Amino acid sequence: MSSPWVSDDKRELLRHTVATLAYRGGKAIKNAPPDFKDFRVSDGARTPGEILAHIGDLLDWALSIASGKQTWHDSTPLPWDDECARFFAGLQAFDAYLASDSPLAASAEKLFQGPVADALQHVGQINILRRAAGGPIKGENYFRAEIEAGRVGSDQSSQRIEFD
Amino acid sequence: MSTEDKRALLGHFLAALAYRTQKALRDAPDDFGSFLMAEGVRTPAELVRHMTSVLGYARTHFIGGHYWPEALSSFDEEIVRFHEMLGTLAQHLRNGDELLDGMTEERLLQGPFSDAMTHAGQLALLRRLAGAPVPPENFIVAEIRPDRLGRDQANPVSPDKVWPEAPKDWKP
Repeated sequence: MSSPWVSDDKRELLRHTVATLAYRGGKAIKNAPPDFKDFRVSDGARTPGEILAHIGDLLDWALSIASGKQTWHDSTPLPWDDECARFFAGLQAFDAYLASDSPLAASAEKLFQGPVADALQHVGQINILRRAAGGPIKGENYFRAEIEAGRVGSDQSSQRIEFD
Repeated sequence: MSTEDKRALLGHFLAALAYRTQKALRDAPDDFGSFLMAEGVRTPAELVRHMTSVLGYARTHFIGGHYWPEALSSFDEEIVRFHEMLGTLAQHLRNGDELLDGMTEERLLQGPFSDAMTHAGQLALLRRLAGAPVPPENFIVAEIRPDRLGRDQANPVSPDKVWPEAPKDWKP
């Protein structure tokens, strides 16, 4: 992969996307029903635990691409709480790289269209499985949500405009 | 921060949304639009309309007013309207049109744009549940271009050669 120059502006907006993933993903996995990790809606469909593990793999992949040492690893799902912690750790590691002065080995566009967009899509899948499993999350006006670049841990804002 | 650079990246976001949505819809079974996973879960046709709705909401931050799309009579028409909305919204970005009422590029991204992307993921899940899953690919090398927002999206550049959950009749 080439080493394109990436403007600070695009890098910052990519960080905002990562923060959005933290906020939306954090909401999808928080207060999940008991046994949600292993909820399988049909044969051949991934369970939420498998999807979350895959998101963790995508974040590891994103960091490896950004740092120019692209590697992929299929991980075995961890217990739910551990996998949630891995999710935020992956976000923090990727965001820390984006926030650093280290060069990006891929464009912001490629990083977005690959692992980041993939992870957002999988968050949507966890949301729909929450509904099918009887523990739906509330809708929200996300455009007013307190999302900011760098806020990528489990401590997301509780100031939310949610719909019943 | 440069608005031009931010808008370029948002334009690419919309292109990725077009590509990924079409991947989830291309060659779907004829009755996929009305597939009901469970009570209370949107059908694919309802999801596409909702995606159009959130993007139309984003557009109101350029032109004012409200947007609330009525249900169309066919899934095909819903898909056409969705891509038209993508194109219209992208044009506002390319034109450099002013955002109204304190809206920012970041809020567009975290709100309606990301909303639509999560729903595109749901379409892909519904494809699997409807018995016609979408083959995986390496999206980082996919041919995604900001000027390609219509229904006619590129085929995968790097489809996966291994697909553990593939249907029995799948050929790499």
